[in-house]
Amino acid sequence: MSIQEKSEALPILSMNSVEVLYDNVMLAIKGVSIQVPRGDMVALLGSNGAGKSTTLKAISGLLKAERGRVSRGEIRFDGTDITEMLAQKRVEMGICHVIEGRRVFEHLTPDENLTAAAPMSMSRSALNAEKEKIYTYFPRLAERRNSAAGYLSGGEQQMLAIGRALVTQPRLLMLDEPSLGLAPFLVEEIFGIISQINRQEGMSVLLVEQNALAALEIVSEGYLIENGRVVMHGTAEALKANSDIQEFYLGGGEGTDFHNVKHYSRRKRWLS
Amino acid sequence: MFYRLSGVHHADYVSDSRIYKVPADRNLAVFILVIGLAAPFIIPSLYLNSYILPWLIWSAAALGLNLVTGWAGQLHLGYAAVMAVGAYSAIHAARFGVPWEFALIIGGLASSVIGSLFAFAALRVKGLYLALTTLAMQFVMDWVLTHSPAITGGSHASLQSPTLALLGQPITSDAGYYYVAFGWCLMVTIFMLNLKRSALGRALVAVREKDYAAAILGVNSFYYKILAFATSSFIAGVSGALLVAAFFFLAAPEQFSVAVSIQVLAMVIVGGLGSIIGTYFGVALILLVPGIVNGIFATTSANLGLQVDVETLAHMPNAVYGALIVIILLIEPLGLGKLYGNIRDYLMIWPFDQFRK
Amino acid sequence: MDLIFLTELAINGALTGLLYSLFAIGLVLIYKASSVPNLAQGGLTMLAAYVVLALARDVGMPLWVAIPLAALLMFGLGFGIERVALRRLAGRPVIMILMMTLGLDIFLRGATLAIWGGTSRSVELGVGYDPLLLGDIFISRIHLVGAAVAIALFGAFLVFFRSRTGIKLRAIADDYMASWSVGISVERGVGLSWALASVVAVAAGVIWGEIQGVDQALSLLLLKGLTVAVLGGLDSILGAIIAGIILGIVENVGAEFLDPLVGGGSRELIVAAVLILTVMIRPHGLFGRHDIERV
Repeated sequence: MSIQEKSEALPILSMNSVEVLYDNVMLAIKGVSIQVPRGDMVALLGSNGAGKSTTLKAISGLLKAERGRVSRGEIRFDGTDITEMLAQKRVEMGICHVIEGRRVFEHLTPDENLTAAAPMSMSRSALNAEKEKIYTYFPRLAERRNSAAGYLSGGEQQMLAIGRALVTQPRLLMLDEPSLGLAPFLVEEIFGIISQINRQEGMSVLLVEQNALAALEIVSEGYLIENGRVVMHGTAEALKANSDIQEFYLGGGEGTDFHNVKHYSRRKRWLS
Repeated sequence: MFYRLSGVHHADYVSDSRIYKVPADRNLAVFILVIGLAAPFIIPSLYLNSYILPWLIWSAAALGLNLVTGWAGQLHLGYAAVMAVGAYSAIHAARFGVPWEFALIIGGLASSVIGSLFAFAALRVKGLYLALTTLAMQFVMDWVLTHSPAITGGSHASLQSPTLALLGQPITSDAGYYYVAFGWCLMVTIFMLNLKRSALGRALVAVREKDYAAAILGVNSFYYKILAFATSSFIAGVSGALLVAAFFFLAAPEQFSVAVSIQVLAMVIVGGLGSIIGTYFGVALILLVPGIVNGIFATTSANLGLQVDVETLAHMPNAVYGALIVIILLIEPLGLGKLYGNIRDYLMIWPFDQFRK
Repeated sequence: MDLIFLTELAINGALTGLLYSLFAIGLVLIYKASSVPNLAQGGLTMLAAYVVLALARDVGMPLWVAIPLAALLMFGLGFGIERVALRRLAGRPVIMILMMTLGLDIFLRGATLAIWGGTSRSVELGVGYDPLLLGDIFISRIHLVGAAVAIALFGAFLVFFRSRTGIKLRAIADDYMASWSVGISVERGVGLSWALASVVAVAAGVIWGEIQGVDQALSLLLLKGLTVAVLGGLDSILGAIIAGIILGIVENVGAEFLDPLVGGGSRELIVAAVLILTVMIRPHGLFGRHDIERV
């Protein structure tokens, strides 16, 4: 599929110049536009406090829980305007947000965690089949399916959080920093599974990461967010090749060349 | 509208920690002080004694609870019990012949000692569990009071308070009682205003926000929690004693029951945690509005010729009181103090902000 | 003191304790499903008893119609409470939620008495007043009925919390945000828990109303209910049952020994002491979850 065709096909998610206000005063993101093509994996990169998590919450509708709201722009999922929709409705439509920090239901077992996330319309047998499928993706969880989720290791909790999201039958899976605080081999394992799910089920994925190196390995395109604005957008290859990205997010580049630092900060100022 | 200023700009810590950040605040304070001093000459003594006086004393008491709940963040559902300790100690001391000045201080200190016992619960648990423990302690205190004839004369008994006398002057006039209440309320208010700016106040806030983080900074949360409970209990004790000496004239265990503890907590929360001006509003609302609403209800129904059941009238104030708590928490969970702040901010540049739109 | 008398005290204490459990289940339900302390259960219980009486006396329904209808009305009221009072406070500090439930309690009590008046009435369930004789031990029939209701509710809720809806409610108590993120309607879940607690209040109101009359003293059960709930662990229904039995026995036997010493009325003192000791020694109670800390 050429770039041309791709842009013409209806993206599963499109955000058009969305602004988010917290508490009616704090502007967290200022006109973010993002598109996630159907069946693709897209990464959202950026540093702490850039507005990545806020962007995801705007899409999943969790903003309301933190007294935030979309004050401008629109969000379309599969062609439908979902800007004002209840979070629960969006999950039913097929958006699931794995929130930051592996928030599993600690006092429930992994099995119950998966049950809790299942929509009431799902039959018991479908739920069991779904659980088995998730346990084949994450065999580690199967071993501990009946002990309290609070006692799982960090990696297992992250797997459970992703598995729990999969039970809701999402068409767009949004992951907020799945690699946070995990050992590199676990990150690799989890990312491997995510791209496997993406390939096998055609599920679109929007991935928020600070670990840009790992993220750019599995996604097809990426957006860079700074200060609540998208400052860069390109294919994964193009981003990896970009010297600024290399300098600031990949830890490689041309070492500590202060020319580049100046160049980048000048550019940031221009953009913000 | 009343505030003409273009923003508060502090260049150093001294100016940032002033009591009156803008002159208008100071003028307002002076204005209120003058009104307060002149009140006996302006307000008919019926209103003065049945509304303003209890309002002032309850405000002082509620400020004490706000110290421990609002500033130090410790839930306290046994405050009335602490007030009872002060009231009974002071009255017994006064009946024994101790001058009232000392009797009040004895009451305050006795409360401090008992109130510090509540602090030991606070050292072990917080939040909901602390609330439940202090509630249970209130029940224990109630029980002790009603079962100790030596202190209270037993349940359903009351204890006559000796005539209040300060500086050798017996106080018997309405204006006299009013000035005593006004003076005590003023003292507590000034203390609380300054507490905000002191190291103690900052330490309490640090303990409230995260006690172990405060400990890392070298704030001994153990010490400050006890200090907060002891100080607030002192205020509770003196307020309780004054309430009996200048308002009830008789002390009975029912005046300090668990319902009263809940009422003081309601005053503080409705007023706004950590807000001094809010506490005054909260006390006024909880103390006075149910009665006023009931009065209006009674007169309108009488005027309309409706027969209203006596029981309905008797229990209406309670329903109104509960509804007020619910409504205020729904409108502004941070209380009337925050609401006042919002209105003030809005009026700051009114009506000129209208032109901007 | 002979053994038979002691056994009688213990058995009747345990039965009374189960009636405290009946009340405490309402607290535990809401805590288990939303981590909200429900201090309005006293007011709810009182209102429920009055509603049953109003339907039975004023409307003239037979009790077997009035009680289910009252349960239905209270079920709706529970949802209403969540919608009106608690939804806006979700995620606020516990002190505000505590105050809100206290305010609700005061309002419910005041409004109930303003509508129906404070004179005590009786339910007249038709359970005989003559005690059962079990060997040499006297047992009150109504206590037995109440204990059976408590255990039946316990069984029902045990099953309920293993069902899919029940698991969702437990998930809500664990983490509101995570629940929203997977499409669980937290609002509806919390509403359901209040609705169920209101139905439990009907059961407690009828049984307690039969025992001590329907008046404002019903709301004073709150301290005992809280003690049972905390002793059992705020989120454990099994805990509420067992703690109820323990508290009932301790209270009944303890009062028998203490009353002559202090001149009566030591029950309240024993209950308050149990509450204080529980919180000081074992805040999460006998069966409550402690917050899991991973090592």
